[in-house]
Amino acid sequence: MVKSYHPVSLQEALAIRAREAVTPYAGGTDLMIKGDEKAGYLFLNNLSELKKITEDGEYIRIGAACTFTAIQESELAPAILKAAVSQIAAPAIRNLGTVGGNICNGSPKADSALVFWATDSKLRLVSSRGERVIPISEFYLGRNKTSLQADELLAEILMPKIGLNNYYYKKVGARNALAISRVSFAGILEIEGGRIVNCQTAFGAISEVVIRRPDLDAMLSGKTIEEAKKAVKEEYLRAYDQAILPIRGRISAEYRKVVCMNLLRDFLESNGI
Amino acid sequence: MEAISKPVKKKDHDAKMSGRALYVDDHVLDDMLWGRLLHSAKAKARITSILLPQLPEGYYVVDKNDVPGINQVHIVQDDTPVFVEDTVEYVGDPILMVVGPELKQVERILKEIVVVYEELVPVLDMLKSDTVFFKYNYAKGDMEKALQEADRVFIETFQTGYQEQAYLETQGMLAYPHDGRMTVRGSLQCPYYVHGAVAKALGYEEKDVQVIQDVTGGGFGGKEAFPSILACQTAVAAKKANKPVKVIFERREDMEFTSKRHPSICTYKVAVKDGEITGMDIDVLFNSGAYTTLSPVVLQRGLICANGVYRLDNLRVVGRAVKTNTVPCGAYRGFGAPQTFFAVEMMMDHLAKEMGLDSLELKQKYMVKQGDATSTGGKYHFHVPLPEMIEQIDELTNYREKRRQYRNQTGRYRKGIGMSLFFHGCGFTGSGERDIIKAVVRIRKNPDETVEILASNSDIGQGLKTTFSKIVADTLGISLDRVLIENPDTDRVPDSGPTVASRSLMTVGGLLRRAAERLKDEWKAGEEQVIEEHFVEPDFVIPFSITEFKGDAYPTYSWSVNAIEVEVDTLTATTKILGAWGTFDVGVPVDLNIILGQMQGGFLQGIGYASMEEMNCNEQGMIRNNSLSDYIIPTALDVPNLVTKIINNPYTHGPYGAKGAGELPLVGAAPAYVEAMENALGVNLNKAPFTPEDTMRVLQGGLK
Repeated sequence: MVKSYHPVSLQEALAIRAREAVTPYAGGTDLMIKGDEKAGYLFLNNLSELKKITEDGEYIRIGAACTFTAIQESELAPAILKAAVSQIAAPAIRNLGTVGGNICNGSPKADSALVFWATDSKLRLVSSRGERVIPISEFYLGRNKTSLQADELLAEILMPKIGLNNYYYKKVGARNALAISRVSFAGILEIEGGRIVNCQTAFGAISEVVIRRPDLDAMLSGKTIEEAKKAVKEEYLRAYDQAILPIRGRISAEYRKVVCMNLLRDFLESNGI
Repeated sequence: MEAISKPVKKKDHDAKMSGRALYVDDHVLDDMLWGRLLHSAKAKARITSILLPQLPEGYYVVDKNDVPGINQVHIVQDDTPVFVEDTVEYVGDPILMVVGPELKQVERILKEIVVVYEELVPVLDMLKSDTVFFKYNYAKGDMEKALQEADRVFIETFQTGYQEQAYLETQGMLAYPHDGRMTVRGSLQCPYYVHGAVAKALGYEEKDVQVIQDVTGGGFGGKEAFPSILACQTAVAAKKANKPVKVIFERREDMEFTSKRHPSICTYKVAVKDGEITGMDIDVLFNSGAYTTLSPVVLQRGLICANGVYRLDNLRVVGRAVKTNTVPCGAYRGFGAPQTFFAVEMMMDHLAKEMGLDSLELKQKYMVKQGDATSTGGKYHFHVPLPEMIEQIDELTNYREKRRQYRNQTGRYRKGIGMSLFFHGCGFTGSGERDIIKAVVRIRKNPDETVEILASNSDIGQGLKTTFSKIVADTLGISLDRVLIENPDTDRVPDSGPTVASRSLMTVGGLLRRAAERLKDEWKAGEEQVIEEHFVEPDFVIPFSITEFKGDAYPTYSWSVNAIEVEVDTLTATTKILGAWGTFDVGVPVDLNIILGQMQGGFLQGIGYASMEEMNCNEQGMIRNNSLSDYIIPTALDVPNLVTKIINNPYTHGPYGAKGAGELPLVGAAPAYVEAMENALGVNLNKAPFTPEDTMRVLQGGLK
């Protein structure tokens, strides 16, 4: 028999989470297709604390139980995130599915998670013991493996507010709706006074976890567009060509690789590099 | 628009919209047991032994030894076993069924059964098959001479893949013994096919078998032959347990182990002399899978249209359906025609390029017209509306201009447009209707002045209850609500043939029209009257010989022209469909909404077949694309600009001028799509589906 819990506050949810082995259930769009009769489910849909989108000086703070539709309709959510969530599945799924679930499911194909990777977002994880804030890159340990502890819940995603405006996002799915990403790419490029001050890229759906290589992206930092184009571009692309080793899935590794490199090049070229 | 075409609310609208419609899985009988099949895990093996766990009371294992009649499913030939004998021939071959009161226990038992196989070497590649199930050939003119005298001979090979029907409702059947009889009900297209098969497997007399069609959530051909197999298994289980047994397939089971469209490899050798096509020498190969099921008839249809809509004086067609150790293929909307129409249309495109023409120009030069001979020496007896259909599509799309514009593109996004011309032969191939089916219908007038239609054809979503009723109501001049139609039950309805081959409305609807005309003449107020009508072949038909492939393979043809416009993103190798236009001649639509729905749905299925629906076996013979996240079918968002037009070309011998409609819209989508891809990419292409991975190979220079 399935056990279910319907806490009405985060505190109550965390108390249950600390006490019992339960599966957090927000939108349920990933869970309902593999229902487990032995599982206990902790329903998070009554927790208004997890459904807010706010901002402070440093971050746009997105509650983990915000649905994709809520993000699409939010005035605070940045355009790059809206670009990604608006292409997830179909309206019915977007009305239920949440960013928190998308992240905690642990899939490298999660479309909203890719944007949080590309923007170096942080995750606020809470438990009855307290809370910790970690970079999203530390959350993912492998395919479907995360560092979420048995008593923890993801409460918020903290997106740094700077440099999000000049972005590039592309999802390649098998069709135009209800499609799992075959390749996804997100990039942001911050240019000040003709110089690149920050470049961040992330590749989804091609390996066990999202590929995010700040060490490689740093090659462009401090360069003018002209310098980047003439002196760094090819070396940068070569470095990624070595770094991206897609795994074979529903679609071949060769296809994924070419698409990744084409998109990365287009990201640069669309910025004049 | 003709008066009959005016759309009405469908007869089954309220039941379906309110959720009251009962599908087979909605039926729960007292003492009912659940059944699940144990499918072979090996593509070819001898079964050495089967180790069963201890069975709880009330649980049974049902296998070949329990078949009271003959352990064969009657389809066309009877080589499909109800349960396997000693060898398994494909991954999925049904070995046994476990039945019992709790589905969970049944599943547990199933998992605990150990089958010991002695593995044999399977044949998975149709080119390596050593068993030809069926071989047909026919010819006209002198093909050898045409080849010898040709200035140039062009040889090309075309490939098409599997296609899965992906109906909403998976296969399901419920069988229950009572009073010395067996009743079988379920999701099916052809009640009398199931009836004959179950009688044979049970060793019952036909009168002791009753088959009822439940509301059926889509068939597309997938419920033509397969339900006969499942019905035999379920009936045998019900007989053994002496209780009702219900089997409902899971989606993965359904996608992996039930029939699909035959993959094909077609080779065309075309003789050209003095700038004229002088003949086509065509070799067609279909992958039957492990058993014959419907392969002979699928192959026949594919061969008859192998020369497309083109007039050729010299023609030689050879076709084989071969055995492989893979899932048996069967019926799917189009029934062999989409494969050969793909090949011939692509061949014409490629020939045109060689001859320095646009493909449409070449096609128009050879297009058949009324009075011309068919490939089998029959005749196109009626007006062939292709010329005006081409002009209509050109007006809608600016096709000719775009074709020119899209040559030699560079840049990230590249557009292309393609067109296909095709027909679908209406009704059974050859003389089947006259010699085998011999359809009978009845209508019964009740004393309360309602009229019931008694026919064995099933409404599987194509609106047949509504269109049949409209024909009868309009002919009698009574309101539609006074015409009654239930799901067919073989205890109540005569055998008016199966629900296949785009025949139901044209052929059976025609019989209903005649019956209604007679009833109108003989109408007696307040009395019960039963009118029966039998199939009669129209006078004009040149009798068809299946041994010689000579004569009218079909009394008439439905015609269509499709155009598809694409835009390829060269960075991702993905394709956006900018528009898909189809104009269709199905005679007079008996209901315009129903016909437009059929045309849109079928066209979209065809676009899926052309572009994204990919299914393959691995080295062990297992189909891995066995879920709807691994087997991609298109959604409305993939072709938002889908335009379907109907032209008026009444068929003199069809009810209200109607002819075959259901299959037509799927048949020509693949060549239109792939020709559009050629136009965008500037190369010749030879396969469907043509997927983003294929596009990427072209863009990377890996394909010629």
